[in-house]
Amino acid sequence: MYSEKVMEHFSNPYNAGVIENADGIGEVGNPVCGDMMAFYIKVKDDKLADVKFKTFGCVAAIAVSNIVSEMAKGKTLQEAKSITKKTVANALDGLPKEKMHCSNLGAKALAEAIKDYEKKKYG
Amino acid sequence: MKSLDMKNVYMDHASATPVREEVIEAMLPYFDRHFGNPSTVYDMGSKVKQVIEEHRAKVAKLISAKSQEIIFTSSGAEANNLAVKGVALSLQKKGRHIIISAIEHHSVLNSARFLERMDFEVTFLPVDEYGLVDSGRLSRAIRSDTILVSIMHANNEIGTIQPISELSAICREKGVLFHTDAVASVGNIPVDVNALNVDLLSLSGVSIGAPKGIGALYFRNNLRLMPLIHGGIQESGRRGGTENVPYIVGLGKASVLAVEELFDKMNHLEKLRSLIISGVRERIEHVKLTGHPDKRLPGHASFCIEAIEGEALIYMLNQHGIYSNTGSACASKALKTSPVLVAIGTPPDLAQGSIVFTMDSSNKIEEIEYVMEKLCLVVEKLRSLSPLWRSKEGI
Amino acid sequence: MKFVDKQPSDDTLDLVCRMCPLHLLEPGDRLKCLKRGQVLEVLTDYDGALEDIPEWCQKFGQEFMGMEEDEDCYKLYIKKVK
Repeated sequence: MYSEKVMEHFSNPYNAGVIENADGIGEVGNPVCGDMMAFYIKVKDDKLADVKFKTFGCVAAIAVSNIVSEMAKGKTLQEAKSITKKTVANALDGLPKEKMHCSNLGAKALAEAIKDYEKKKYG
Repeated sequence: MKSLDMKNVYMDHASATPVREEVIEAMLPYFDRHFGNPSTVYDMGSKVKQVIEEHRAKVAKLISAKSQEIIFTSSGAEANNLAVKGVALSLQKKGRHIIISAIEHHSVLNSARFLERMDFEVTFLPVDEYGLVDSGRLSRAIRSDTILVSIMHANNEIGTIQPISELSAICREKGVLFHTDAVASVGNIPVDVNALNVDLLSLSGVSIGAPKGIGALYFRNNLRLMPLIHGGIQESGRRGGTENVPYIVGLGKASVLAVEELFDKMNHLEKLRSLIISGVRERIEHVKLTGHPDKRLPGHASFCIEAIEGEALIYMLNQHGIYSNTGSACASKALKTSPVLVAIGTPPDLAQGSIVFTMDSSNKIEEIEYVMEKLCLVVEKLRSLSPLWRSKEGI
Repeated sequence: MKFVDKQPSDDTLDLVCRMCPLHLLEPGDRLKCLKRGQVLEVLTDYDGALEDIPEWCQKFGQEFMGMEEDEDCYKLYIKKVK
């Protein structure tokens, strides 16, 4: 059902964790409908110096969280905002149709974290 | 504990069982050597017809029924369809109301929903926190136009065994037919149609070491049943189509073995079940046993583990060679929760973490130890990823 | 067609919902279980049986006693004579 890439990121989600005193936090989803993701970012010189996450959800949700954090690291905020559900799914060599919403959730959680950062900074 | 290098600890016998060697052996001659069509009159065919009848008797004996009360079907699902739709269509002049429990298998549930579209009325009986149907509630739900009640014997997802004889007695008294889906219970606990006092009962080869693709419906003598598959004179005109002879032989042989081995199997499975239940309770916090603590299938242990999601759990156990299952997902994509777990009042977020172990005689005590070790590991790993567990830890 | 009213019988064969040719196969089998002189009641919702069963009786030397129409089926009576 899942690509090897998905299973790799699911089995070893190396970016999982929490950033203490994160510059931005984005939480999306809720456990009632299945998936919940929390993204933590550290920003330096307008770039994402570190990205971590915590995820409650299925195989796809965990793999998506890990690859989104991987894709975002080192990127400028503007670049990171351009990560979409499509680029996420492609980076994972595809996702089953019924799991596409997970890739959307990952991109959204990251965007929320950036928004949180910008809100704090610019008010 | 020494590290066991186990591959393939299969703990999902509710989904499928391996076909027994003895069963395969019994089936083989009926693919080529004795291939005749049972409906033909020459001896190549009539001998095969005889073989079908011998095996019908074996299946009948498994549930203490009479031979002529058994119809072979393609699956437990077909048996359920035939029971629900077959009775409803044959008795529709008498009434158009049927009652099923809220935790029935999809083949009963969707047969009932199909009947709703044909202007039948269906009452879905709620269950308590253990998945039990209340007899008082059933009694009150029966109306003058009720023609059928269908309540499963044991639930495959939570293992709970219903007090069928108590429920069927109410229906018998009110002149309403009673069907029970015994797919999960046959071969795991004693199933006797007279003791259960039922009019119809479905069973499947899948759960007793016969191949997939064969099942049977018991129907009490002289019951009217509208066929779903119209055809020739096969199954006394109640199900058309040339008989699936090798599979019928397989189901017959598996039935004989199931009868012989039942009590040893139950003893063994009860031991494994109590090991796994006590192991989980002692070693994993924030876990709920789903289903009834005692009135449950001997080889069935099911849990909801807080703060993690079932599919991830199954895949991670899979990576350790452990095969288990999670609750059946709802057809609705919006809500992933199992309807059975919802029916027993499990909060939707907790219901996500559903895991079901169903064991068979082939499972060993060492395997349970291995499963416990890996389950603890996997739960810890997934919880370390979970934002919900963070709040549990109070960080 | 011969009609009967409240004909008593020794055994009932319910063929309602079952299609042709079951009404030509099962009465013969069931009659084997009866004694000579006993009466078999056959229930069917297939109107073809109204023609077929009297004919079948004649062919196989059994006595067709008559029929009665019930709410949801026909009741046909066969007396075993041999």
